[in-house]
Amino acid sequence: MKIAVCIKRTPDSESRFKIAASSAAIDEAGLKFDIDDFASYAVEVALQLNEKQGPGETVVYAVGPDVVQETLRKAMSMGADRAVQLKTDAVPYDGLAVAKALAAELESGGYDLVLFGKHAFDTSAGIVGTATAELLGVPCVTAASKLDIAGGKGTARRELEGAAEIVEFPLPAVVTIDEGIARPRYPSLKGIMAAKKKPLETKPAQLGPVRVTVKSMELPAERAPGRIIGEGAAAVPELVRLLQTEAKVL
Amino acid sequence: MAASNVVFAFVLTLGAGFFALNVQRLVRYMRLGYAENRIDHPLVRLKNVLTIGIGQRKIFRDPIPGAMHATIFWGFLVLTAGTVEILIQGVFSGFSYARILPHPLYALYAASQDAFALFVLAAIAFAYYRRLVLHPRRLDGDNLEHADAYIILGLIGGLMVTLLLANACQFLVDPASIGPEKFVSRGIAAAIAPIDAYPSTPATVFWWLHVLIVLTFLNYLPYSKHLHVVTSLINVFFSNTSGPPQKGVMRFMDLEADVEQFGASDVEHLSWKNLLDGYSCTECGRCTAACPANLTGKLLSPRKIVINTRQRLMEKGPVVTGDRMEFLHPALLHGEGGDAGAQTPAQVMEHRLLDTYISEEELWQCTSCRACVQECPVSIDQLDIINQMRRYLVLSESRFPEEIQPAFESLERNGSPWAFSPADRAKWSEGMEIPTMAELMERGERPDVLFWVGCMGSFDDRAKKITVAFARILKACGINFAILGQEEHCHGDPARRMGNEYLYQMLAKDTVETLNRYDVTTIVTSCPHCFHQLGNEFPQFGGNYEVVHHSTYIERLLQENRVPLQSAEGKRLTVAYHDSCYLGRYNDIYDAPRETLRRALPVVTLVEPPRSRDRGLCCGAGGGRMFMEERVGKRINVERTEELLATGADTIAVACPFCMTMINDGVKAKEADVAVLDIAEVVAGQLQS
Repeated sequence: MKIAVCIKRTPDSESRFKIAASSAAIDEAGLKFDIDDFASYAVEVALQLNEKQGPGETVVYAVGPDVVQETLRKAMSMGADRAVQLKTDAVPYDGLAVAKALAAELESGGYDLVLFGKHAFDTSAGIVGTATAELLGVPCVTAASKLDIAGGKGTARRELEGAAEIVEFPLPAVVTIDEGIARPRYPSLKGIMAAKKKPLETKPAQLGPVRVTVKSMELPAERAPGRIIGEGAAAVPELVRLLQTEAKVL
Repeated sequence: MAASNVVFAFVLTLGAGFFALNVQRLVRYMRLGYAENRIDHPLVRLKNVLTIGIGQRKIFRDPIPGAMHATIFWGFLVLTAGTVEILIQGVFSGFSYARILPHPLYALYAASQDAFALFVLAAIAFAYYRRLVLHPRRLDGDNLEHADAYIILGLIGGLMVTLLLANACQFLVDPASIGPEKFVSRGIAAAIAPIDAYPSTPATVFWWLHVLIVLTFLNYLPYSKHLHVVTSLINVFFSNTSGPPQKGVMRFMDLEADVEQFGASDVEHLSWKNLLDGYSCTECGRCTAACPANLTGKLLSPRKIVINTRQRLMEKGPVVTGDRMEFLHPALLHGEGGDAGAQTPAQVMEHRLLDTYISEEELWQCTSCRACVQECPVSIDQLDIINQMRRYLVLSESRFPEEIQPAFESLERNGSPWAFSPADRAKWSEGMEIPTMAELMERGERPDVLFWVGCMGSFDDRAKKITVAFARILKACGINFAILGQEEHCHGDPARRMGNEYLYQMLAKDTVETLNRYDVTTIVTSCPHCFHQLGNEFPQFGGNYEVVHHSTYIERLLQENRVPLQSAEGKRLTVAYHDSCYLGRYNDIYDAPRETLRRALPVVTLVEPPRSRDRGLCCGAGGGRMFMEERVGKRINVERTEELLATGADTIAVACPFCMTMINDGVKAKEADVAVLDIAEVVAGQLQS
């Protein structure tokens, strides 16, 4: 099967974030970037599908400046066969603009399946995958927690609040991947060495017009520190009083 | 020259020639391993041969069997001189050392022969008793293994008996030929005389029996675990386990090298020295008896790792070297786990050391505590094989327990094996006014010492208290020190111990770059793993610093009376100190932490668990075990904590944040009312406020 996986480079979620001086972006100084967690699930799903189904090709795409090449190499060290960078100076916030660049590229690729992460950790918008499907005119399944392909048809499981649904769709299609579907493999040194020699193509990105931008960002209010009222049974009356009068939860 | 001399010369040539063929064969197999230089520091190596080899230093770590073995070994050295005399006699009848040695020396030689023959017989008798009656657990093995031991003991016993009988009969035939120094032989002659006053035929028969046993013994060795008779002194010479160079340093690995694969999955990816280790193992089981994983019911047995390496070499060697002497290597070299039973060369090539002989599970159970290496009387490096195989698993196949993937990923992203924000690294120091290197640099100043805090000391809630305690001591003593703050990140040791050399080298090279940028010369750290890595392994990447562990550092400060301690004696504490492997067996630091406790606590009673100092039992966290679940057998930390609690101590002292976590968990599991403190905390508690 020919599978495309569109991946994004995002900062590590354990980082301590600060807002940049412009107040409309985060301060990237000191942040560690890597392949987005959801995107890495998508890469793993693609690799597993091709391993199971015999000869195929897994191609990874990323939109962005040259630093995304590092992310693309990471996906290739996991096992993707080749990579394409759609070069821009920066990744626009407007998901539709990004989707247009991807769709323009994927259209002629002859892919059976195009995978995305459900959303990326940095924007949590989840637009690019669905918008690309719309632009390509193919069916789209979002947030798949299980994906099987057989006889030109796909079956996906989607987790709902308190239930799950199984959906069917014809190929080609776009599927966005939820967490927990597969544990992304850890690249071996052999894989890392091989990835250095795999083809990585760079093309200018044909971005759509950027119409949505971030005006400002703010951090959540800092939580007040906890308070120790006392110890043992003696502290209970005071605790109850505070829960009633201050926290107003009783 | 009589006909018998010619016959003997023929037999001798045959025996020696066959042995030479086998030696050649074994050397050819051994050379399948990769090349490495093991003749550096020849004087240290010679010293090791004299102390560990000839002096039997490590053998005596188990005193009773040690005395037994040393008697046989020294007897062998002494009696080999006699054997040479006898072999020369075979060709040139009438030869005797008496002709070339001055009389007193000859008399001493003659007496030593009889005396040692007697000692060796006694030792052999004890060896049989030990194997047949006492059954020590560490000698457990299959039937072949036991048969092998009985055969060898029988041959050695036979050598002694025939020697004495031949001499005794010879004395009766020609009293002038056996001097009064051979008192045992003469004694036996007195007993024989009433039966046969002129036993000339028995004299010849026993002499021939003796030389035939010598040649049989020689040629049996290559098929037996008793090959160590030939290889052990050689192995001790080439071994690095007691230095040179620094002990316990993992091999440098060139990741840019154009190699088929990284790490070892089969014998040809090991060094020739690892393969010589296989030839040298006598299956005494001292390593496995000291292994914390094995002691707590896990699969890992360092003895098995070494025996398997030899088994696999014996299986693969003939096939890849195109050995035409296939008939020469029956499956006598056997042992734990047994042979994999390949019938055809194709099957042999399908097998490999990993998976066929040694499972992934065994390799991941190792805590890298070095107890096996410490115990081996012939300086085998079991851990080196384990480490090289772990490298293969991770670097070539990405096979490892899934719990350690987050540690790898976090090391890559956050510079610490735990997912803490690097921004919080120096949070423990808030309000303590401890400068960072960068701040001092800006002011144009340089500290005397860099305090390397380590990841545990920076992020772990319990270990942060140790960090603060040590920083308080440094401040109280007026030490001019700094930290790296957010510029510190893991040096990669956990990744290296878990086989991820690629990740390790990234982190290590980056750390060396930071340290060299600040011209760091002296580093003090409260973590033995950091201590070992920065001090002993960083030279591989151009990082050369004087690294001091906080136990040594505090001890020095106490010695110089620089620590402002309270004068009050306080209450008497009974303290059991738990040895950290990376401080002890890796770096021989045993006294500094104990001395620190004694000096800081005027009324302390130090108690020792049975396993302490270089026999200390690991806490279970080393070798990356900290990041893995311990699902099989008893928990190592509980085993160790029980030993420490049994001393009756009211305080357990540690000198390592990893040990702290493990022993603390053990104390909690046992619901014991005992304090677990780092030595820095003990000292900080005695500071004048």
